[in-house]
Amino acid sequence: MIQNREAFLANVASRLSRTKVLTERPERNWNYRPQDKTLTDKTQDELVDILRDQCRLIHTELIETDSAALPNVLAEAVAAYGGGPLAIWQDPRYEAFGLREKLQSWPKQGIDVHEWNPSIGYDNISIVEKSNIGITFSDITLAESGTVVLFSGEGKGRTVSLLPNKYIALIPKSTIVPRMTQAAQQISKQVQEGKSIASCINFITGPSNSADIEMNLVVGVHGPVKAAYIVIDDK
Amino acid sequence: MKVTLFATCIVDMFQSDVGIATVEVLERLGCEIVFPAQQVCCGQPAYNSGYVEDAKKAMKKMIAAFEDAEVIVTPSGSCATMFKDYQHVFQDDPDWRSRAERLAEKTYELTEFIVDVLKIEDVGAKLEGIATYHPSCHMTRLLGVKDAPMKLLSHVEGLEMQPLPNAQNCCGFGGTFSVKMGNISEQMVDEKVDSVTETKASYLIGADGGCLMNIGGRMQRRGKPVKVMHIAEVLNSR
Amino acid sequence: MAMKIGNEKFKDNVNKQMEDTFMRGAVAGAQERLRTRRLDAAEELGNWEEWRSHGEEIRQHTLDHLDYYLQELSENLQKRGGHVFFAATAEEANDYVKGIVKEKRAKKILKAKSMVTEEIGLNAVLEQEGCDVIETDLGEYILQLDDHDPPSHIVTPALHKNKEQIKDVFAEKLEYKQTSEPEELALHAREKLRQEFLQADIGITGCNFAIAESGSVGLVTNEGNAGMVSDLPDTQICVMGMERIVPTFEEFEVLVGLLTRSAVGQKLTSYITALTGPRTAGEVDGPSEFHLVIVDNGRSGILGTEFQSVLQCIRCAACINVCPVYRHIGGHSYNSIYPGPIGAVLTPLLGGYDDFKELPYASTLCAACTDACPVKIPLHQLLHRHRQVIVEKEGRAPISEKMAMKAFGIGASSNPLYAAGSKVASSVMKPFTKDETISKGPGPLKAWTEIRDFPAPNKERFRDWFKQHQKESGKA
Repeated sequence: MIQNREAFLANVASRLSRTKVLTERPERNWNYRPQDKTLTDKTQDELVDILRDQCRLIHTELIETDSAALPNVLAEAVAAYGGGPLAIWQDPRYEAFGLREKLQSWPKQGIDVHEWNPSIGYDNISIVEKSNIGITFSDITLAESGTVVLFSGEGKGRTVSLLPNKYIALIPKSTIVPRMTQAAQQISKQVQEGKSIASCINFITGPSNSADIEMNLVVGVHGPVKAAYIVIDDK
Repeated sequence: MKVTLFATCIVDMFQSDVGIATVEVLERLGCEIVFPAQQVCCGQPAYNSGYVEDAKKAMKKMIAAFEDAEVIVTPSGSCATMFKDYQHVFQDDPDWRSRAERLAEKTYELTEFIVDVLKIEDVGAKLEGIATYHPSCHMTRLLGVKDAPMKLLSHVEGLEMQPLPNAQNCCGFGGTFSVKMGNISEQMVDEKVDSVTETKASYLIGADGGCLMNIGGRMQRRGKPVKVMHIAEVLNSR
Repeated sequence: MAMKIGNEKFKDNVNKQMEDTFMRGAVAGAQERLRTRRLDAAEELGNWEEWRSHGEEIRQHTLDHLDYYLQELSENLQKRGGHVFFAATAEEANDYVKGIVKEKRAKKILKAKSMVTEEIGLNAVLEQEGCDVIETDLGEYILQLDDHDPPSHIVTPALHKNKEQIKDVFAEKLEYKQTSEPEELALHAREKLRQEFLQADIGITGCNFAIAESGSVGLVTNEGNAGMVSDLPDTQICVMGMERIVPTFEEFEVLVGLLTRSAVGQKLTSYITALTGPRTAGEVDGPSEFHLVIVDNGRSGILGTEFQSVLQCIRCAACINVCPVYRHIGGHSYNSIYPGPIGAVLTPLLGGYDDFKELPYASTLCAACTDACPVKIPLHQLLHRHRQVIVEKEGRAPISEKMAMKAFGIGASSNPLYAAGSKVASSVMKPFTKDETISKGPGPLKAWTEIRDFPAPNKERFRDWFKQHQKESGKA
């Protein structure tokens, strides 16, 4: 429902010296486009280097591995963060990256794994809230800022990356792009093609933090206190 | 080169030494100085206080006084900025606007003129001691003259330059602000004086008479033994 | 609380605030840290001026076509199942939100930091309805606990408080028993607020930028509280100032980068979230109902005027963080939730000159603000423009000043008068002069010499020296 629009916009239009509200999409002819030449000449390996450097600034551990070693590397990362309970998405990529076996063996070792399950509704949130670590894949990864981009969806609960104490992002190397520019272009393209975008797109850069007390940086306020990225060579 | 001097009212009335130094330095560098006696104040005090119509009277006078100049040089970044702004003040008055545009094109702040037009960085000056430089706001931010003073000072024999902490912060002058908001201005100039003291410099150098009058006046009141010098005076030291 | 945060006179406020040495130390320290961080973040990009120019053109374009983009935004959000309410006034906005609260019989309402909800005084309205309204941004939370102390900065609202003061507030209101270490304080707030998040009925956020092409709302935080507020409650309400919009995700990206670099010197903050309507079929978290309230509240009165560029503002506070006046008087002196240079321009436009006519004079016109602004708002020029309006259109200047400036106009523009005045200056000032210095001046000089010495007029005016000089060198 849209309320009060007509009078409101008529007033805006008249302030802009128009007799009625503009209905044709205005041309956007920019004189400047610095984003087109920022980091766009980097190779995928150079982007990993940039990401690695940036992770140091955002209090995030960066681990590099390949598909074969991933299960063990993830297990080590989980152990280093104090083990379970774990919360993960319902996402075919865990299997595609050879993690099914690990996910099945964890509960036998006393590490609970909750896979997001739309059929149990709000109970997901209560379980995730009590989890120690949330583990998700990154849909797009921004090298410059050290950011993982997550699209919400049926199996991809928003809170998995937010409520647990720690967060681990699994980053297929192929998802790495130079900066937010490329992610924005992908999303905008979807919109222009008439496709539906995710109801929640999260750009997450390291653990949560605040500088509200005397401008001292405190890591871990409402979201995770610690974050790690695992970059997987998937070529 | 024939240089028409825009002395500024502060120099004309309160800082004739700065005017004299400007003339002597420029003459030494081979310039012939002209001083139109019709010049008054550039109008900035009234303009900045919001009295634009009153300021315009002075502005028109100045445009007329400097109309025939080849180049105009002034020992003040702030007043040079005001000259360059005339064209915006008269934007709705095509005749005066185009006259103001011509004025702006040929106006230079003193150090900018020496470095960028005369292409000289070493004027052969000599001054023993430690000094610090206060970059005045209008000169650096609005006129965009940042490097010229430092280039010139770096060639002054015997002078050791110390960086001024928080140099970018305004000294609290701001024309009528200094009296209208006197209590705030006092805190600002006090911080500036403290910063100058911290450098242990014997000289505070600047390129704007208003700022120097403010900082200098406060330093004197607080009994600080720092000598305040306009950059023209430094460049004229032998 | 609305935009105006007190009834004291500006001068009284300033005098009171300048005695707060902690506040002044905190502000000066923060300014220095943020200045370095901002400059580093700008330098990293390499071509900062180009980015600023792009930011400026995006904001100008959007404002020039604001009717189109608001229409597009509302259409697209409606397609995604969201509700859009256009509020011409603060009252309309508050009433609409109140209506939702009543309909949902909501008791607990969570908020993420939002300047526009402060501006319209939403919290007070909801509290009157008997709701428990909880601010979740750490800084806002501290202020709220401290009996609604007003914010003094638009990004770090509790900047004026030190950790001891914060500890005391926590001890009194939350039975906090630990130290004043920021980590411990933050952890305590985390635990307290976590429980609130899980029980809230409605989440209210502001909006950093809405995205017209998709009907999305973009939120920028470091703490992750906006995510909590939008993920957990079943009803979400976003309140946005009507100018906070961009055409597409491409412009969103540019402005977010300018915002985070300018505000805190980060390439991106920890959480940037683009929300598009309520949760979709099959999703579990996120709201089932999504409302967007688009607020005018005086903004349209600025559109199409000489002050339009102030609406380019992206609320990064870079101008505040470099302002040498704010540095000494702090945020509360401005009597507005919008302090510093942006506040001194915006507040009188939204709140009128009756209450705020001093603010445009609380500046030396040093232009540090204009220089720092990532979207190139000519802030010092707008402050000057206010002065012109106050003097020439509104006729609100004091008579004595008017007379002095009239005299200036006549004196400075007439050669004989100027020459005569400057010639006699020296002898007129003679009684006040000692060692070529005036330390107690008469008339208008009094205010100057209360603080600093004034040089005595030259015994010989420069122009007289020059005449002599010309003679001596045989040129005249």
